[in-house]
Amino acid sequence: MHLLQLEWQKWSKNLAFRILTLFYVIALPSLLLLGKRIDQLPPPIGTNEVFFMFPTVWEYLGYVGNWLSFFFLGFLSVLIITTEYSYKTLRQNIINGMTRAAFFKGKLYFVAVIALFATLYYSLCALMIGYFNTDIIITAKVFQNWSYIPRYFLMCMGYMVFGLFLGFLIKRTGIALFVYLAYIMFVELILRWGVHANISKHKSMHFYPMNAVEDLIPIPYTQQAQQFMGQFGFNFFLTPTEAVVTTLVYLSIFLWIAWWVVKRADL
Amino acid sequence: MRILQIDNLTKRYGKITAVDQLSLEVEAGMVYGILGPNGSGKTTTLGAILGITKATEGSFRWFEGKYGDNPRLHIGALLETPNFYPYLNAVDNLKLTAHIKKVKEPRIDGLLEMVNLLHRKHSKFSTYSLGMKQRLAIAAAMIGDPEVLIFDEPTNGLDPQGIAEVRQTLLEIAQTGKTIIMASHILYEVEKVCSHVAIIKNGKLLAAGPVGAIIHDENIVEVAAEDLLALEQLFSPMSAVHKVTRENGKLLLYTDESLTPGEINRLAHQAGILLTHILTQHKSLEAEFLEITK
Repeated sequence: MHLLQLEWQKWSKNLAFRILTLFYVIALPSLLLLGKRIDQLPPPIGTNEVFFMFPTVWEYLGYVGNWLSFFFLGFLSVLIITTEYSYKTLRQNIINGMTRAAFFKGKLYFVAVIALFATLYYSLCALMIGYFNTDIIITAKVFQNWSYIPRYFLMCMGYMVFGLFLGFLIKRTGIALFVYLAYIMFVELILRWGVHANISKHKSMHFYPMNAVEDLIPIPYTQQAQQFMGQFGFNFFLTPTEAVVTTLVYLSIFLWIAWWVVKRADL
Repeated sequence: MRILQIDNLTKRYGKITAVDQLSLEVEAGMVYGILGPNGSGKTTTLGAILGITKATEGSFRWFEGKYGDNPRLHIGALLETPNFYPYLNAVDNLKLTAHIKKVKEPRIDGLLEMVNLLHRKHSKFSTYSLGMKQRLAIAAAMIGDPEVLIFDEPTNGLDPQGIAEVRQTLLEIAQTGKTIIMASHILYEVEKVCSHVAIIKNGKLLAAGPVGAIIHDENIVEVAAEDLLALEQLFSPMSAVHKVTRENGKLLLYTDESLTPGEINRLAHQAGILLTHILTQHKSLEAEFLEITK
């Protein structure tokens, strides 16, 4: 708690922190609600009602949240590390009497709390949107996709721990943000489809860290999508369980490496 | 109590040895100056004892091990540059420091008044001048009334007024009997403020002890005569003359203050040597420092 209070004191008045949080809060429901303006959709979706109805609202809002977490929460976690390096405040925190372990834990807890609030907000939005857009509310239907909630939390952690990892390794805001974006959007795709798939078209090509994080809350209608793209002979997406396990393994590795770096470095 | 003990501290960056087998002891109540030219390893040494630089070899111990692994909560330190969150104001920044130091009710206004920043307490740190930033860092170091204060080049980059203000503040703190460790490349500053001094060059300790014993006052008397050799033979054996050197056709006599120029003149005259030149200079501290670090 002491560490969380400290992080809050550090960041609550920071402009970038406020803007990124605000963007997430505003964009999550409003991006989905933009779907109200789309009347006709290609099959198999057909109508936009599924965006807002239980239980599919969990999938669609989750997918919107996936993109938003990737951008805003990931950026946020890179920033809360690299700015401590650029302002030399990490150095000063240690001089003032923090241990390196406390500093590291403080960041991890802070990220976990942000992920928790992001998930609570996602659940709240999903419940509200679902409630006002479903004609007949059946409790079983409402919570049919309850497993999206813990997976959403893990997804937020996935992006943010990757952000922490890059922040601690690279230390410079600009470069770390660039690597964060470039890795998730291009590098991993090239590795998977350009390199791995050429060597072996095996399911293992999906077990990459950020792909696993993305597949925690995959694009809706993945089951149907498989039928169109299933010429590989194996599933196009990781199953939720595979994604959860893969993510947990990679996150532990990232955290371990980051801690190893922080523990030994001259600051 | 022994506040700090450093044993054979060594820090290497690849092939460069920044600190070389350095050993030091600081007792409670000392105002300890670490003096050395730029790049002599002062900041590296302080960084190592403050836990931000990992020593290659050697060890150090704070407060005889009284506070275990994290003695830094009982140390206030300003290393190199003042580091704060630029988007926060002075009060918020000091509150943060207090939070880290686990100080429940910091006397923030009192500290800001001491460093003459009370009128700017609600301005963001990023709007401060360098002198103000430096003074805020001194205030931050004082939070929680730590047992030891460490200042690294506290007047670096300040204008003359800022330097005078910071020195005054340091003197006031020193008079309260607090242990202070201060690194500086300015001899005058160390002489003004410190009780003890260690002189470092190229990472090696050259001398350490009370300021009076290391930096002692000597006179230099410049003399010349037609027969310089006879003059040298006359003065070299005398106990009041510590050293004789030749420079630009003149002799430099490093003498006790008891040997006055009049006396020198008289002695030479008695020996049948007529002085063609005599000039007394109080030996500058810088000259002494340069000599030690040569």
